[in-house]
Amino acid sequence: METTLTSGRIRVRPRTRANIVLHVTLIVLVLLTIYGLATLDTRNINIFTAFGDMLNNFRIVLFEARLKNLSWLELFRELMITVALGLITTVLGAIIAFFVALFAAQNLAPRRVTDAVKAVMAFIRAVPTVLWVLFFAVTAGLGSIAAVVGMTFHSISYLVKAYAETFEELDEGVLEALRASGANWWQTIFQAVVPSSASALLSWTFVRFEINFSVAIAMGATAGAGGIGFDMFMASAFYLDLRELGIFTYAVLIFAILLEWGATRLKETVGVKRQA
Amino acid sequence: MSLLEVDAVTKRYGPETLALDSVTFSVQPGEFVAIIGPSGAGKSTLLRCINRLIDITAGDIRFAGVSVPTLRGSALRRHRIQIGMIFQHYNLVNRLSVLENVLHGRLGYKNTLQGILGLYSEEEKREAVRILETLGLSEQMYKRCDQLSGGQKQRVGIARALVQQPKMLLCDEPIASLDPSSAKVIMDTLQEINRSTGITVLVNLHQVDVALHYAKRIIGMNRGRIVYDGAPHNLSSDQIYHIYGSEAGELILDLKERYAA
Ligand SMILES: Nc1ncnc2c1ncn2[C@@H]1O[C@H](COP(=O)(O)OP(=O)(O)OP(=O)(O)O)[C@@H](O)[C@H]1O
Ligand SMILES: [Mg+2]
Repeated sequence: METTLTSGRIRVRPRTRANIVLHVTLIVLVLLTIYGLATLDTRNINIFTAFGDMLNNFRIVLFEARLKNLSWLELFRELMITVALGLITTVLGAIIAFFVALFAAQNLAPRRVTDAVKAVMAFIRAVPTVLWVLFFAVTAGLGSIAAVVGMTFHSISYLVKAYAETFEELDEGVLEALRASGANWWQTIFQAVVPSSASALLSWTFVRFEINFSVAIAMGATAGAGGIGFDMFMASAFYLDLRELGIFTYAVLIFAILLEWGATRLKETVGVKRQA
Repeated sequence: MSLLEVDAVTKRYGPETLALDSVTFSVQPGEFVAIIGPSGAGKSTLLRCINRLIDITAGDIRFAGVSVPTLRGSALRRHRIQIGMIFQHYNLVNRLSVLENVLHGRLGYKNTLQGILGLYSEEEKREAVRILETLGLSEQMYKRCDQLSGGQKQRVGIARALVQQPKMLLCDEPIASLDPSSAKVIMDTLQEINRSTGITVLVNLHQVDVALHYAKRIIGMNRGRIVYDGAPHNLSSDQIYHIYGSEAGELILDLKERYAA
């Protein structure tokens, strides 16, 4: 009180540790960016010719796209392999994450349990998906199995966080009411927690599916999981066929748009918007 | 025999807050008791100790002869089944239908799987529908709860408590979020339930006039202690001052006189 009055200016935001840490982090990031740009090794590339070449490549990819090594049917099958990889890892991840998240939500489980679960999940999440896939590749070998396990693993940790936060936003009173009427824990979960949070869980799952779809493309190339990602890798790095790469890019783009459209429709039918 | 015996119950939240300070009283079957007192007096805490949503720090609570503080697991569920609870904010699952919410009152009677899947017997459903009819909600039965008015929501809350076939109702400020006419409907409903079925009613109220009008017994609380316990007509102005502190007491007495006139 004293300080705010005597200093003559009233602080709107408290000077908390979190705020100070945030500021320091931002400043460090800015300095690192400046340092990085200043010391970038450009290897005497003329930025203007390089930029022009890049635009020309884009033009080829986007406007001269055509298939060569694959038929349209094969293209579709390859795309579906990637979709399937994204889908299976999302569904598996969602089912497991739902049950784990029940033990990560502070209003549903004891504090000690939630802290432990959250710590483990934070660790899994901190390691990138690709690293998990490579890690599982040690035992399963590079290929679709390592990709499925690794991607599922990371999906779980992501969805547990999202689901648990959804659960924690639930109205405590509703849980209390069911407990008061003699309902046990599992009954409360399925009669109050699930119906109240279903649409939020669904949209988080869809967000993760979109992530997993793009990860599945990358996995096709890096982990040899197959699918359109592998074809893109072959077209760009092996055949140097920018025109075929263009078709793949369009295929992915069209599917991504369909996905977005489907997600919006789904949310409308399930009814995320609540009448107050 | 008393239905409820609260014996020297103390509840602490941490070392600082003494929410209930050696509270003792008993309630006979069929009583209609109003608990009044200023904000923070411990009214909500007291109700939640009775159905063990909160663990007490010291003392004993006996309900229908059973000691409550040590109950666990299925015995605790069996205890809670016998007590219906009604909340200020209704605490319904908004995304479910009225009927589904009412049937939640039956969960305590179901095994885990039946409860998870929401498998209720025809008899239970018939009873739920019957209660909804008596409360004038038969048209709303399949509406989602977020489409109801406050007064309707509170009647759903009452229906949910009634399908439990409870011996007692605990009502935590049931009318604090309602307009005067809906509030009257709710209080009349509680009174009617108390009279016709003999279910004991324990209700926390902020409105002294409402408490005086409906209750046959008033318990006044201040800072975790019972400072008045007796019939409404014995409640003197001095005692209202005692419960609420002098300034608030002034205002309440004003209202009371106007209400009486
Ligand atoms: N979960 C909790 N943790 C810590 N303190 C609490 C908790 N719940 C209640 N208290 C404290 O216990 C005391 C009694 O609270 P309680 O909610 O029972 O009062 P009340 O009479 O119901 O008040 P109101 O009329 O405002 O509802 C208050 O001082 C409150 O701050
Ligand atoms: Mg209260």
